[in-house]
Amino acid sequence: MTPEREPRVEELDPALIRAAAAGDLAAFERIVRAYQQHVWRFLRRLVGDPAAAEDVAQETFLRVYRALPGFAHQARFSTWVFQIARNAGLDELRRRRRRDRLAASVRPPGTVGPVGEARAEIEAALAALPVDLREALVLVEVFGLPYAEVAAVVGVPVGTAKSRVFRAREQLRAWARPDEGAVGDV
Amino acid sequence: MTCDATRLAVSLRADGELGDGPAAERLDDHLAGCPDCRRFEAGIGRIRNALRFEPVGEAPDVASPVIWRLSRRNGDVRDARSPWWAAAAVAVVAGLVAGATFVGVAREPRSPAAADIPALVVAAQPTVDSLDARIRVTESTRAAPRDGRLAYRAPEALALTVGADRLVVDGDRWWQDAARACSPAPGRVRCPADGPRWLRSVTGREPFSDAAPLPLDLVVPVDSFALAAGSAGLGERTVAGRAAIGVTVTAAQVAPFLGGLADAAGLRPVHPADPVEVWLDADHLVPLAVTARAGDDPGRAAWARAAGVADAPGQVIVDVAVTSIRVNEPVGDDAFAPPAGPVDESTTAGFQPGDGAPAPEPATLPAGHRPHRAGTVTAAGGPAVGLRSWTDGRAWVTVRATAGWAGGRLFGEVGPDVRPVDLGPAGRGYASADGRRVALHGDGLDVVVTGSLPAADLRAVAAGLGVVGRPVPPGWAEAATATLPDAVQALPGLLVPGGGLAGFGTAAVRIDGDTVSQTYAGPGDRGLTLVQRAAAHLPPPSDGDEVGVAVRGTAGRYSYGRGQLDWMEGGVARSLRSPTLALGELLAVAEGLEPA
Repeated sequence: MTPEREPRVEELDPALIRAAAAGDLAAFERIVRAYQQHVWRFLRRLVGDPAAAEDVAQETFLRVYRALPGFAHQARFSTWVFQIARNAGLDELRRRRRRDRLAASVRPPGTVGPVGEARAEIEAALAALPVDLREALVLVEVFGLPYAEVAAVVGVPVGTAKSRVFRAREQLRAWARPDEGAVGDV
Repeated sequence: MTCDATRLAVSLRADGELGDGPAAERLDDHLAGCPDCRRFEAGIGRIRNALRFEPVGEAPDVASPVIWRLSRRNGDVRDARSPWWAAAAVAVVAGLVAGATFVGVAREPRSPAAADIPALVVAAQPTVDSLDARIRVTESTRAAPRDGRLAYRAPEALALTVGADRLVVDGDRWWQDAARACSPAPGRVRCPADGPRWLRSVTGREPFSDAAPLPLDLVVPVDSFALAAGSAGLGERTVAGRAAIGVTVTAAQVAPFLGGLADAAGLRPVHPADPVEVWLDADHLVPLAVTARAGDDPGRAAWARAAGVADAPGQVIVDVAVTSIRVNEPVGDDAFAPPAGPVDESTTAGFQPGDGAPAPEPATLPAGHRPHRAGTVTAAGGPAVGLRSWTDGRAWVTVRATAGWAGGRLFGEVGPDVRPVDLGPAGRGYASADGRRVALHGDGLDVVVTGSLPAADLRAVAAGLGVVGRPVPPGWAEAATATLPDAVQALPGLLVPGGGLAGFGTAAVRIDGDTVSQTYAGPGDRGLTLVQRAAAHLPPPSDGDEVGVAVRGTAGRYSYGRGQLDWMEGGVARSLRSPTLALGELLAVAEGLEPA
C-alpha cells in the first residue's frame, strides 16, 4: 500500500515574520533555522548536488530577507519561501550551464554520480527527469505539499501541477517496477 | 475506464486528491483486473519511500553564514551577489519584456556610423595591444559608486578592480578577490570564519579559456557586436577626453560585457531586454561608457519582483564610465599583480603544459600567428584532451582533440544546434550556431577549433588539420542536423526569414521526425529558434501564462514564461522561441517570414 502523504512543512507565527521583515535578525535566524532543511533538500533535488544546493540555499535566504518587507501575508509563507528557492535554483542551473560550457566538453555525456546503492539509483533517475517534472514530484513527495501549493510555488495552474506529478511518475516507471529486482537502469 | 485514466486516478489518490465516490469505485474495479496498473500503484509507493529516505542530520547549517553575512552588511543586502545571467534565468521563468520598442530586429540605423559599428568593432580587435583605464561603476542598488581600474595586455593578461573586488588573469593563472559567502567549488567548502573577503587562486588555466574569466569584451566588445545588425545610433560625444560613437542595444546583446563585469565585480541584475547605451571609442572601439536603464513593461515588473529589485521605468540601473584611459601604451607589471593577502582557496583548472598531442597542427594559419601555449587538459571522469593555441599577439585560435571521446554528441561543446559545413577533402565539419566553433568527428580522433577569428578563417584552419571529418553516428544528438533544402523537402510550406535575418548568423537546421527547427545565434546572448511541424491544430498550452496576440494576420498566443510565440498557418504549427528577445521583436521576425 502507498505510504501516507502528510504535510511536513510547518507554518510560522506571523509575528515572527513581521519582526524579521522589520529587520530583526534574531527573528530572521529562527525563520532560517525553521526552513533551512526543507530548502536545502528541495534544492539538492533541483540542482542535483549537495554543495551547490548549500550555496543556493544561502542565496535563497538572502533573497528572502531582502524581499520580506514585500511579503503579502495572505499567502502561505512556506509557499513563498519555496518560490524563492526555486527561482534561485533555476538561476544556478542556468549559470552552471554557461560556466561549464568547456568543462562539460571533456566529460563523457550521460555519466551520473555514484551508483550501486538504492539511493543513488533513485537520485540518478530523478536527475534524469526534466526539471519541471522533477520539482513538482519533489514538492509532493518530499514535502507533502497539496497540488494547489505546488501550483503556487512553480507558478502554473493546479491542473498542470497535477499532470506534471503524474508524468514524473510515468517516467520513473522503469525505475519503480517491482518485478525487476535491483532496478537502477533508467 | 482506460489504463491511462486509471493511472492518472491512482496518482491523484496517492496524493489524497481524488476524493471518494464513483470515480474511486471504478478505479478499484479496473485495478482488480489490471496487473499493469497495480504495478504502477506499487511503483508510486517505491518512489515515495526512496525519496523520503534521507539520513537525519545531513542538511548543512545555512543559518549561521546567512546571519553572519547579513549582520556585517548592516541590513544592506541589496548588493548580494547575483550574476547577470542569473537575472536572465529569472527572466525566462518570470516573463519577458513584450513590445519593447527601443530596439528592433534589422531596424534602420539613424546614423551611418551606427550601422558600421559591428564591422568596425571586429576590425578593431587586432588594433588594441594594451589598455589602462580608470573606471567608475554606479548601480541603483548601491549607495555610492565604486571606482576601479581595467588593465589589459595582449594576448592573455587582464586585471579588473572595482571597489574592493579584484580579478587578475595572467596566462595560465588567475586570481579573484571578492566578497563571498562560500566557496562555489569544488566539493563542499565551509564559509570563512573571519572576514568577508575570499581570495581564490587558480592555476592550470587553458589558453584563451572561456570557462575561466577573461572578459575581453571589456576591452573590445567583439562577442557583443560580431553578429549584430545596425543598431539605433546615438550620435557622437566626448567621453574621458576621447571622441565616442554611441548606439542603443539590449542587455542581452552586451551580455559578454555585463557578464564579465558581473563575474569580477558583482553587478546587480539587469533584464535581458533592458535598453543599454554603449559609447565606443571612435578610434579603437573600446567601450568608454555603458548605461543600462530599466525597461518599461509589465513583464519586466514580474521579473524585477523575482530578482528582488525595484526599478522605475527609464531609471539608470547600471552605469560604467571610463574616467581616463590610455590605449597601446606600456602597462607596468604592477597592474597585473595578484591580489594581496592570504589565499583562501587554491585550485587547478586541469591544464598542464606539454606538446599538445594528440591535437593536430593546421597546415595553414592566418598571417602572423605563432605557436602560443600547448598542453593537456584532464577533467575528472573525462578523456585526456590535447590542446594547441596560436596567436598573432591579439587574435587567437585553439585546436583541441581527444582520442578517447565516448560519443553521444560532438566533442567540444558546440551545442545541439549546429550547421554541417563542407570542408572539401577534410570531409564534414559541424559549426556551432554562432560559427565560433568548428567540430570534426574523425576516425579515432575528435577535434574542435575555436578562436577569435572570423568564422571563415576558423573553417579554413579546421580544413587544414589532416583530419577527415565523418557525419556523426545516427545515435548522436547532432544526427538530426540538416540543410535548409532538406528541410524544405521534409516540410512543404516551410517558412524562413525573408532575405535572411539581419543581426543573426546562418540558421542551424534540425529535422526531428516531422518537426523542422531553425536556430539563429545573434550577438552576445541574443538568439531565437523557429520550430515548424505539420499539425491540424496547435498543441495545448503548457504553462497557462499565455496571452492572445495577432501574428501574421491570424490569432496566435504568446507565453511570457517560455518566451514563445505560437500560431497556425497553412496546416503547420509554427513557433518562435527566444529567451532574450522581447515579444515585439519576435513579432517583427514573424512578420518577415516567407515561404522557402
